[in-house]
Amino acid sequence: MSAPSAPLLSVQGMTKRFGSLLALSEVSLDIAPGEIHCILGENGAGKSTLCNLIFGVHQPDAGAMRFRGAPYQPTAPADALASGISMVHQHFSLVHDMTVVDNVLLGQTRGVLDRRGCANRLDQLARQYGLPLEPFAKIEDLSVGERQRVEIVKCLMREPHLFVLDEPTAVLLPDEIAALLEVCRRVAERGCGVVLVTHKLAEIKKAADRVTVLRGGRVVAASSSPAAEIDALVRAMIHRDADAPATPFDPAPGGETAAGPSALRSAATRARGQTDVLQVDGLTVRDVHGVTRLDNFTLTLTGGEIIGIAGVEGNGQSELAAVLSGMIAPTSGSFYVKDLDLTRAGPKAVTDAGMGVVPEDRHAVGCIAGMTVAENMFVSRLGQFARWGFLRRGAVNIAALALMKHFDVRAAGPEAAFSSLSGGNQQKAVLARELNLQNLTVLLAAQPTRGLDVGAVAAVYGHIRAASERGVGVILISSELDELLSVAHRVIVLYRGRIMGTCPADPAQRQRIGAMMAGHAA
Amino acid sequence: MTLQTTTARTTPGPAAPRLSTLVRRYAAILIPVAAVLAAGLIGLCLVGLMGVPIRAALDAFIGGAVGSPYAIAASINRSVVFALVGIGFVLANRANLTNVGGEGQIAVGGIAATAVALYGGVAHLPLGLPIVLPMLAAVAAGAMWGALAGIFKVKAGTNEVISTLLLSFIAIWLVYWSVQSEALLRRPRTTSATLPESLEIPESTQLPLLTGDFSFPLHIGLPIAVMIAVVAAIVLEKTIFGTGLRAVGLNPVAATRAGISYGRTVIAALALAGALGGLAGAFMIQGEQYLLKDGFSSGYGFDGLVAGLLARGSVGGVIAASLLFGFLRSGGINMEMVAAVPTALVMVIQGLIVIMLAAASFWLDRRPP
Repeated sequence: MSAPSAPLLSVQGMTKRFGSLLALSEVSLDIAPGEIHCILGENGAGKSTLCNLIFGVHQPDAGAMRFRGAPYQPTAPADALASGISMVHQHFSLVHDMTVVDNVLLGQTRGVLDRRGCANRLDQLARQYGLPLEPFAKIEDLSVGERQRVEIVKCLMREPHLFVLDEPTAVLLPDEIAALLEVCRRVAERGCGVVLVTHKLAEIKKAADRVTVLRGGRVVAASSSPAAEIDALVRAMIHRDADAPATPFDPAPGGETAAGPSALRSAATRARGQTDVLQVDGLTVRDVHGVTRLDNFTLTLTGGEIIGIAGVEGNGQSELAAVLSGMIAPTSGSFYVKDLDLTRAGPKAVTDAGMGVVPEDRHAVGCIAGMTVAENMFVSRLGQFARWGFLRRGAVNIAALALMKHFDVRAAGPEAAFSSLSGGNQQKAVLARELNLQNLTVLLAAQPTRGLDVGAVAAVYGHIRAASERGVGVILISSELDELLSVAHRVIVLYRGRIMGTCPADPAQRQRIGAMMAGHAA
Repeated sequence: MTLQTTTARTTPGPAAPRLSTLVRRYAAILIPVAAVLAAGLIGLCLVGLMGVPIRAALDAFIGGAVGSPYAIAASINRSVVFALVGIGFVLANRANLTNVGGEGQIAVGGIAATAVALYGGVAHLPLGLPIVLPMLAAVAAGAMWGALAGIFKVKAGTNEVISTLLLSFIAIWLVYWSVQSEALLRRPRTTSATLPESLEIPESTQLPLLTGDFSFPLHIGLPIAVMIAVVAAIVLEKTIFGTGLRAVGLNPVAATRAGISYGRTVIAALALAGALGGLAGAFMIQGEQYLLKDGFSSGYGFDGLVAGLLARGSVGGVIAASLLFGFLRSGGINMEMVAAVPTALVMVIQGLIVIMLAAASFWLDRRPP
């Protein structure tokens, strides 16, 4: 299947900007007929943008495509469909109170609805590809996996030459994933090209003929024997900078540059012997579908220690952060800050107990963009600035100004709209708020440097290290291995919600950690 | 050469055209006023087209709105009701909640006020309690009606637009039931002509008039509403509670993470809005109508809602819009009665004004500062 003589789809030098964001930069790849081609990358790597360009949702700023030997310039999804390209989107477009057959027939714009004929065709496809479906069941009665099957059938009815699936497995149960990959294989065996977008490694090992890895909108790796090269692909996907040295970020503002991370680490080791600040016992989270997202997670964090949580995204990190920050209750297990049981106490109690939380999603959880910088910095404890329920705005602004200065948050002033700040300054402001909790004992920082430039990244690391030296225990969740290796003292690797292993945050451990992230027991 | 010097002189000079700067500076006031005037003009044209003499219609309108001390007082009393509902709308809207249930909150407030005034044994209490207790009952009833919608939203995710509206229909039918059933509030049936309405509430429970003069029946609802407006503005801008409302409205997830209780805030916001609606209902019974009858709320809850919508979050805006609607309603009613302008046309003119005002604010929003 490697080195096909005539590619089905050839993408050359595709570039796409959204405003100032360069979503795709000079991306080139070939899809051969009969192959399953995986596009691998973290969130924001440009995978969906690439799909949308192929499917005609967006048009490229530069670059060209050829499909089945002819120039291909779709200006709308209808062009793609007419050319023989079908796509299953991440979000389904099904009418819930209509039957499977009616949903399949929805696209038909002429003639009489032939429900019986359609049902027969569905049965035929079901046998052909292993896609069992009850033609006259209502969508609302189907499971997520069955709904996806309807979307897939809708595409296959058109007998496409190229079949694109954008993160199809994100919503599926493990055995549904296996069935889906089997369907993809059967589709490919009929000579159709299959593009499978994912960031899950198990799928690649199982299904991919070829893999193209995107990072930051660029192709950073490609492989024709992905199962064998999985570890290299993981590294390509998660490294911030492939050329970076082993300790690429050595921020240490305040003249600690010479000391380096190892010195910091030993300093923190000395600082240990302090009390345990966070005790996590067997946290387990099952989602609404009953899928275990976090499985029996246990750790003990001492004051001054920085524990890194490594793992490819979607392996339980978000659930861990949500539980520890009080946003969701775990299915089972418990956690304590000092000796206070916070398992089901809610966000306010977590904050009051001295746990600072830098949420993974800054925009959705970390800040209130429509409020001022000062309000955002103190929103969790406005009560401190109250007299008879009245907010002393002057006092809030003065306190905010001091914080802004200390954390180098650049804004027009404390009353500036939070939305007017750059991403880096927003993140510094969130960090300032959480680090400034009066009784801070634990800091939980999830992906704290995502989307930040190098300078802001260095500042964030500096503040996290400074907190650790003050005796604060830190949990740093990151999908960037380099970040963990340079900031944390030890690293816990999560894979499918389970702890795969723990090891010291030593650059020499990079291979071992990478292997654990890919699901190999260490 | 000459051209260059002129440009050099005019560009940095402060002597810009005066009229346009004035218009620019006061655009936020001038444009809505112009919008209302334009809508009024169109309305008059429509009146003319209907064959009603424009002069007579205009006279009737002005007479009804401001033609006599009585008319002025009646218009302002109306505005007070609109303003209370509108302020409630703005309070809840700060938490991104749309309370369209003013009509129902007025209705339950009116029922509660009538019930307590008639059968609560309050008529002979000292210290103004005969006036205050029915009002408090109305506030409690309205708050409960609003809080119900909040509880539905928090517990079951019901959209408050739907629930407040449907609760309004229930409340309106509750009024109907109350005045139809002698077991409830209907006055004893003495003849077959006894109307389905309650007894008149005792004089001691009626709102005192500010001047004591029945030809100028402005009641104490006005100063109470002004006080409430001031308090509401302060609560929204200066207090922790107001900031919490805003935080929940702008980003409920982030507000929750920051320890602000989403559920409590939503229920409190809708309860507050309902309380003000209930108070408005008490004012209508105790200040103007003195008895409960079917349809007593007259759609004032919806007029108040429109006042709140047009105010776009500002309490001052609610007052301006409420005054406008109060006088418009009075003028419109008179135009209908005296000049025989069809009711439908009066409604059309009111609708035109709302549309023009909305268009004006849309235009003001898009204008670069």
